[in-house]
Amino acid sequence: MRNIKAIAIKEFLHIIRDRRTLMLIIMMPFLQLMIYGYAINMDVKHLATVVYDEDQTYLSRRLINSFEQSAYFDIAEKVKTPETLHRALDRGTAKAGLLIPSDFTKDLLAGRQADLQMLIDGTDSNPANAALSTSQAIVTAFMRKEGLLSAQVAPIDFRPRLWYNPDLKSSFFMVPGLVGLLLQFIVPMITATAIVREKERGNIEQLLVTPIKSYELMLGKLIPYLCVGLIIALSIIAVAWALFQVPIRGNPLTLLTLTFLFLTVCLGFGLLASTVADNPQQASQFIMFLAAPSILLSGFIFPRETMPHFVYYLGYLIPLTYYVQIARGIILKGLGFIDLLDQVVPLTVMAAVILWVSIIRFHKRLS
Amino acid sequence: MDNIAIDVRDLTRRFGKFVAVNKISFTIRYGEIFGFLGPNGAGKSTTIRMLCGILAPSGGNATVAGYDVNRQSEQIKQAIGYVSQRFSLYNDLTAEENLRFYGEIYGLKVDSFQERIEEVLRMTDLVEWRNHLAGEFSGGMKQKLALANAILHRPKILFLDEPTAGVDPLFRRSLWELLYQIADTGVALFVTTHYMEEAERCNQIAFISQGRILKIGEPSALKNQISSELLEVECRPLMKASRLFQNLPGVRGITAYGTTLHLNVTDIQSSQQAVSESARMNAIEVVSIKPISASLEDVFATLSEKK
Repeated sequence: MRNIKAIAIKEFLHIIRDRRTLMLIIMMPFLQLMIYGYAINMDVKHLATVVYDEDQTYLSRRLINSFEQSAYFDIAEKVKTPETLHRALDRGTAKAGLLIPSDFTKDLLAGRQADLQMLIDGTDSNPANAALSTSQAIVTAFMRKEGLLSAQVAPIDFRPRLWYNPDLKSSFFMVPGLVGLLLQFIVPMITATAIVREKERGNIEQLLVTPIKSYELMLGKLIPYLCVGLIIALSIIAVAWALFQVPIRGNPLTLLTLTFLFLTVCLGFGLLASTVADNPQQASQFIMFLAAPSILLSGFIFPRETMPHFVYYLGYLIPLTYYVQIARGIILKGLGFIDLLDQVVPLTVMAAVILWVSIIRFHKRLS
Repeated sequence: MDNIAIDVRDLTRRFGKFVAVNKISFTIRYGEIFGFLGPNGAGKSTTIRMLCGILAPSGGNATVAGYDVNRQSEQIKQAIGYVSQRFSLYNDLTAEENLRFYGEIYGLKVDSFQERIEEVLRMTDLVEWRNHLAGEFSGGMKQKLALANAILHRPKILFLDEPTAGVDPLFRRSLWELLYQIADTGVALFVTTHYMEEAERCNQIAFISQGRILKIGEPSALKNQISSELLEVECRPLMKASRLFQNLPGVRGITAYGTTLHLNVTDIQSSQQAVSESARMNAIEVVSIKPISASLEDVFATLSEKK
C-alpha cells in the first residue's frame, strides 16, 4: 500500500509539473464543449432568409411577420426580383428564400388554393430538414391565426411531439456523448504518456532494481489518472449544465458509477498503448488510430440506425457506443441501472478483456 | 566467508545463440571497490543486471549479499543500491522529492526518514539544492543525487554503471572521494568504467571482453604482468608502420598513441631487432624505440586484442 501511495503521489507531482498535460486536462474539455455546444450547432435558428413579396398586401406582410417572429428565420433582405433571391441562395448569403406570388391574397380570399414557395439550402441536410418542417408549422399556425383554415374538423388530429429534447437542441444531444468522447481520448493519452515517458527517460531502469512489484507500479500509475478522468467527466457535465442548461434527469450516482466503468476501459486502453509504444508519439498515434473511428461509428454525431449494416454492427465493438447510450439515457431520459443493462454488460466484458490483456502485456514488458 | 559480498561462479547468460556472459567467476569483499572494465558490448551491463536480480542467469551461480540471484532477487533488491549510466531519477521532481519517493519505495522507517534524507543530502553537498528540480542540475550534480539516492536505504552493496561518464574531472574526483567514504563504511562497490585512471583507484579490477573475464587482480599486479612485454616505437609515417609491424612475428598487438606505437610483443629483444630491420627496408623513419612499463590503458588494449 505504501508503495502504491508513493507512486500515486509522485504521479500527481508529474501532472502538476507538466504544463502540456495540465493544459490537455483543463483546456481540452472546455474547448471541445464550446465547439460542440456552440459552433457545431445543428439547431435551426436565425436562418438568414430572403423574401420576394410580389403580393404586397396586408396578408402577405402578416405572413412575413410570422416568419420573422419565429426566431428560426431571420429576414435578411427583401428583394425586388426572384432572380436576386436565387442569387442570394447561390452565393450562400441566404439559407432560405420565401416567394409570395402576386395573387396570394386574392386566391386565399376566394377560397382557392394559394401558392407559396419556400426555398431552402439543402446542402447541409440536418438543418435543412428541420427548416422545412419548421416552415410548414409556421404557415399552418399563420392560417389558423388568420382564420383561413376550413371550418370542417380535420379527420385526424395529428400532433407530433418531441420527447427528451423538445426544442431539438443539439447541445443536449451532444454533451452526454462528448463526455465519453473526451474521456476516451484524454485518459488513454495521459496514462500511456506517463508510462512510456518513464521508459523513454530511463526512469524505469532505476525502478526495476527496487523491491517494487509490477502490480504496485501499475496501480500507483492508474489511480491518479482514474481520478483525473472523473474530474474531467464531472467538469464537462457541470459546465454543460451551467452553459447549456443540460439537465441531469437520472441518478448522478448511477452516472458516476458507469462513468467509472467506462474509465477502466479507457485506462486499459492507455495501458495497452504503453505496451506497444516506445515513446509518447507512438502511443498517441496508436490511440488516435483506434479512437478516431469511434467518433463516427459510436453514434456520437450520426445516428447508427441510418448506417449500412456492416458499419452498424461494427459500432457494437466500440466501447464509446455503449457509453454514449448510457450517458444519454441517464442524463436526458432519466434511465436507471436496470434500463441500461444491455449497455452495461457488454461494457463490463470489454473492460475486463482489455484490462486483462494489457496487464499481462505490461507485466511481460517489465520483466 | 562472512566478509564476502558478491560471489560469482561460472555465471553465464545466453540470448538465443549469442553468449553475452560466458562462465565468469570472481569474489568481492565488503569494503572493497571492484572495477569492471571492458569495451562496449563485452557483457558488463548483462553481468550487472544479473547481479541486481533483474535478469535470470542461463547458468552458473552467484550470491549477492548472501542471497542467490536465481531464487532471491527480491531480497537482493532490498540489499543493493544502483546508480545507472544514464540519469534515471525524475527531472521534474526536486532533489528531495526524488529522495522521498525512493525512500518510500525502499520502506525507510518513518521515524528516521527525514534524518536519513538530511544525511545523504549533506554527504553529497546537495543540501542547498534540495528544493531545485533535478532537471536543472549539472551532469555532476545529477550523478551525486543518483548516488545519494542509491545509498539512501543503507545498501550493503552498491552498483555503479559508468558513474563518471560525461562528468568534468573536478567533479569526477569529488565523486571518487565519496565512493571511498562509502567503501570505508564497509559497503562493497561494483564499478564499471571506461576511464583507466579510475580503474587504478580500485582494489581489484577485472577485464571482460566478449563475455569472458580475461584478467583479474589488483591494478599494480596486472600492470607488472605485462610491462616487460611492451615496446614503444616513435616513427613516421605512423599508420604505414603500424600495418607493417602488425605482421611481424612475435607482435601480438599494436596501439597508436600520438606519434608513437605501443607494441605488445612476446619477446622484447627479438622484436626490437625485427622492428628496426623492417623499418629500414620499408623507408620508415624510426626516431626512438624502447621498452616501457604499461599503463592500465595498455593492459586494456592488449587484452582486448588478444583472443
